[in-house]
Amino acid sequence: MSDTIVFESEEQMPHLPMSVGTTLYNKTGSWRYVRPVYRNRTSPCNHVCPAGEDIVDYLGLVKHGQYEAALRRILEENPFPGVCGRVCPHPCESECNRAQLGGAIAIHAVERFLADLPQARQLPRLEASAPSGASVAVIGSGPAGLSCAYQLARRGYEVTVFEAAPHLGGLMRLGIPSYRLPREVLDKEIEAIAALGVEMRTGMRLGDNLRWEDLQQYPAVLVAIGQHVSRRLNVPGEDRQGVLPGLDFLRRVNLGERVSVGPRVAVIGGGNTAMDAARSALRLGAAQVRVLYRRSRHEMPAVADEVQETEQEGIQIEFLTAPVKVLSNGSAVCKLQCVRMRLGAPDESGRRRPEPISGSEFTLEVDTVITALGQETNLDLVADRMECAHGLLVSSNAAEASPLGEGAWRKGLFVAGDAATGYGTVAHAVGSGKRAALAIDRYLRGEALDGFPALGDPVRVAARDVDPTVVRFEDLNLAYFEEETPTLQGQRPAAERVGDFDEVNLGFAPDQAGREAERCFSCGTCNECDTCWLYCPDVCILHRDGSGYEINYDYCKGCGICAQECPRVAITMEEELKWNK
Amino acid sequence: MSYDIAQKELMYSGHVACPGCGAPMAMRYALKALGEDTVLIIPASCWSIIAGPFPYSAVQVPLLHTAFATGGAVASGVKAGLEARGLKDTTVMTWAGDGGTFDIGLQALSAAVERNEDFIYVCYDNEAYMNTGIQRSSATPWGAWTTTTPVRHPKERPKKDIVAIMAAHRIPYTATATVAYPEDLTRKVLKAKSIRGAKFLHVLSPCPSGWKSEPAQSVLLSRLAVQSAAFPLYEVENGDKYTISVWPKEKVPVIEYLKLQGRFAHLGAQDIAYIQEYVDSEWKKLVAKAVASGQSVPS
Amino acid sequence: MEQVIMGNHAVSYGVQLSRVHVIAAYPITPQTQIVEMLSEFCADGLLDAKFIKVESEHSAMAAVIGASSAGVRSFTATSGHGLALMHEMLHWAAGARLPIVLANVNRAMGPGWSVWTEQSDSLAQRDTGWLQFYCETNQEVVDTVIQSFKIAETVLMPVMLVLDAFVLSHTQEPVDIPDQEAVDAFLPPYIPKVRLQPGEGHAFGGLVAPDNYMELRYKMQKAMDEAVGVTKQVGAEFGKAFGRNYDVLERYRMDDAEIALVTCSSITSTSRVVVDELRAVGEKVGLVKMRMFRPFPFEAVRQALSGVEKAAIIDRNISFGQGGVFASEIKAALYDSPQQPVVFPFIIGLGGRDVTPESIRGIVRHVQEHDRPEGEIIWREVRR
Repeated sequence: MSDTIVFESEEQMPHLPMSVGTTLYNKTGSWRYVRPVYRNRTSPCNHVCPAGEDIVDYLGLVKHGQYEAALRRILEENPFPGVCGRVCPHPCESECNRAQLGGAIAIHAVERFLADLPQARQLPRLEASAPSGASVAVIGSGPAGLSCAYQLARRGYEVTVFEAAPHLGGLMRLGIPSYRLPREVLDKEIEAIAALGVEMRTGMRLGDNLRWEDLQQYPAVLVAIGQHVSRRLNVPGEDRQGVLPGLDFLRRVNLGERVSVGPRVAVIGGGNTAMDAARSALRLGAAQVRVLYRRSRHEMPAVADEVQETEQEGIQIEFLTAPVKVLSNGSAVCKLQCVRMRLGAPDESGRRRPEPISGSEFTLEVDTVITALGQETNLDLVADRMECAHGLLVSSNAAEASPLGEGAWRKGLFVAGDAATGYGTVAHAVGSGKRAALAIDRYLRGEALDGFPALGDPVRVAARDVDPTVVRFEDLNLAYFEEETPTLQGQRPAAERVGDFDEVNLGFAPDQAGREAERCFSCGTCNECDTCWLYCPDVCILHRDGSGYEINYDYCKGCGICAQECPRVAITMEEELKWNK
Repeated sequence: MSYDIAQKELMYSGHVACPGCGAPMAMRYALKALGEDTVLIIPASCWSIIAGPFPYSAVQVPLLHTAFATGGAVASGVKAGLEARGLKDTTVMTWAGDGGTFDIGLQALSAAVERNEDFIYVCYDNEAYMNTGIQRSSATPWGAWTTTTPVRHPKERPKKDIVAIMAAHRIPYTATATVAYPEDLTRKVLKAKSIRGAKFLHVLSPCPSGWKSEPAQSVLLSRLAVQSAAFPLYEVENGDKYTISVWPKEKVPVIEYLKLQGRFAHLGAQDIAYIQEYVDSEWKKLVAKAVASGQSVPS
Repeated sequence: MEQVIMGNHAVSYGVQLSRVHVIAAYPITPQTQIVEMLSEFCADGLLDAKFIKVESEHSAMAAVIGASSAGVRSFTATSGHGLALMHEMLHWAAGARLPIVLANVNRAMGPGWSVWTEQSDSLAQRDTGWLQFYCETNQEVVDTVIQSFKIAETVLMPVMLVLDAFVLSHTQEPVDIPDQEAVDAFLPPYIPKVRLQPGEGHAFGGLVAPDNYMELRYKMQKAMDEAVGVTKQVGAEFGKAFGRNYDVLERYRMDDAEIALVTCSSITSTSRVVVDELRAVGEKVGLVKMRMFRPFPFEAVRQALSGVEKAAIIDRNISFGQGGVFASEIKAALYDSPQQPVVFPFIIGLGGRDVTPESIRGIVRHVQEHDRPEGEIIWREVRR
């Protein structure tokens, strides 16, 4: 049917001009000088996810109801979807292109939905790459340490995690209240890591009952000690009873203590810790809780959702306000002297520096002051062993920490998490720990670390082969999308929820998760919408067995309609230089 | 499957349409809707060549090539012949260009539909005699360049309203369609197939070669034609019931459509304004007809 | 069954007996009675056919091309300007190898308007690939319709049968209309192997490049060549079935003729009378009746005219700038003959001007009185 037909004589011809073959003999592919190729590009969500999750891919799986597969996709990169789905500031959503046509996908809620699937959690193993007997020590059981432990254990490494606190989880347990992150959720995710054979040893404090000498037996050691030291207020009266450093306060609350506060509480700060402290204080019975922040709402580092929930609960946020002095009546705090601020020129972080407005001082009646001005690493633990700068552990090359001098330590010392980066989110820590694990794996297998992604660079375990160009809203073909507003997960009403520490957000039902996944543009990522197949004038785009499409280049004329119409920039036109051949 | 379109292909690759041509796209969709029990009649037009030379064919269904003016007449004969053989349900479809419909073929078309012959007549309209090298037809829109309406003397008459002509014959079904809306097109082809009697479909078919547009933009142009109301999608039943198929959410200014086509590049602001006014007033009239037919305007 | 009917109705009966399935026609004087009677046959259930009332002759031919392509026996009729309007599609029908039968009532071309008989309309189509039969009587008309379908369906080329306007079309003559049963036995149903058939995805009539076109045309000519033998055979079969033999031409009293009149259509009848008259007084005059004009029966013409000294070719037509068409083609046929008569090319009767026995006698006298023709055309009965 597809051969060229040549009639040797008139006798071979039909008696009239009637076809006996098809145009498949005619390979019109010879006409073109550009050709379409399927080449997935980077979605903005994937581009910014600090944990390196393949969001666009798992949303596609959710869309098709393949929840287990979607969860597995997340778990390849991040063993804490239950945590992240609840507490991550979701930069993915800030970059989501759908924000410009109805509202960003509620990615965090979908992630939480997947994490909450009732089936028992089994973390996926990988082909063992660990050399025999290779063991690794991880100092710190926060998200960085546990992420690293997970990625190593699944490759067959023997991992021991040393944790100073009596419980595992680092700031996930100690810094985040249970109304945001229920304990069972965290426990389940940590247990799944332990189930891979990771040895977890609590009550082991570096510099105390855990000495550097004890760590010599491990060919590689990860230092992931986090940032547990609260920054000081630096105002007179700060050290009185009744002024509580935020992290200490939260640690006690999160470990189950009914800390006495109030009745009037002032929380100083504008980040998530401040919101957590304020809302916890309220739940502990404070009659009035106020948050004082020296900049404006626009500059607050706390996640917008959290700020909204805080205000819904009746907590007032006073912007452009800073404490000047803590006053007490005897031993009890009774007043907080404050001053109003205005925003001046930007400081080194780029944010406008707040300046006190002289003459605007005023006094608040308070019983408890909680400070939440940021965290720092306890560098005392490591200062004699490792190089530190700007309050963070230094990494000399792409992978290794910088030991101080020959005698101080030797190679194989790695850093991860807040102690090294200061980013302050679970997702960053997960990504950082994963990166360290991959570096450790290379190192222990004797491979060079030159060119390995630097600290802070994204790393994926199960990366798809994707063009690094990020797809922006203007790149999409909007003819294929309608404005659709997001589905919101249910939330307990404020009046009811402030009475306890039970979870505030109620999560998604499957149809809600599905609806959000449906709204996803699938930026840069072919999701087999069939638009290219539909419009090809030359019937050159064929469904491939299994998945995706195949272009029949024998006939493709290079018209470019497929690339132009692809709603999501998953097809690229490439020049085809045939005349040079 | 994201689109409500049959999977089976009845058109082959290897046909010789220009890259990005709307005509094979339209044919592909129409054949998918009609299936194998179809006989195609193609009067002289681009498709006479697109279909491939003897001894090859680009379509899986029987195809009768015929002379330019004869689309309506040959179909009448084919239908009569098939019926005489007992093939009463085979769809007979004439697939003609704008030249073979609006101009030289108008007489035979008018006669065939006046007799209410049981066939589907599809005019795939690229708005000029493209096969012979881009000469004007009465389907060429006002202001367009063609080789016989050069830039100093562009087309001065508006595009002939072929749908109105067909509606005036009071045939059971007349509709417009275009390649950017394949589900709408196939729905209309299927609807036509379900009706006994004369059915006429006017399909706007972008032509990169003659419109001087980018081949990659043919679907985009077809969409803009609808979204700007330069080529509205609607149906007319029995000559007087009007139903608009696609209501543009926000009517796109016609310049967005025109500026992508080199055949309009010589137009000045006044010309564009004139076209916009014309498009707007025609749209208003169409909406009035749809409303009078009982359709409600979506908010 | 014997009936006295006009030539047009003879066509209608022939078509009815041939069990045509699709008719498409446009009215034009003097063809109208053909289709009127056929309409009544269809309405009365005497003919199971669809009659498509097209809007022009061009569409009439297009429609029967469509029907014939769909694999059914199809027919149309026209005359004069109608035939001329069909011209493009006559080429198409032949190239498409469709066994369509067309009855043409010979009519003069305007301007000025003329409805009367002349052969120019059909002869102007002699290049199109259609077989052409010229009928002398209404009997011959009905017989030729039936034979035309058989011949057409054998060689797969279209066939045109021609009858004079008014002289035959509107003139009542006694005709033996064959029985349907006998016709059915003679002319079986038309069931072609090649036709439009859902499930068989052939394209018909697409672009043919120079590398294939000539062979297709060669095949058409081959079919034309075959058609001579087929016509004789069918004519003989017809004779056996119905008692009336037909051939590509007829020789009347030609055995020792010194002068041959060469005629066709109704002029033949007139000429027979004059030949008999002249023979009765010892003149050695004979008559060759041209029945088949396409394909041109070279052998038969050469044989018929080889022995005579002079041939008077009577053309009721003119090809401007050349002359009478029969004369020109017969002369060409005789070019290589060892024995060639002197050919006297007469043109007479244009626009339906009556050709009487006296006209024929005058022609014979002219031939007797001249050794050679005085020009390319010998005009008769023109006021000069």
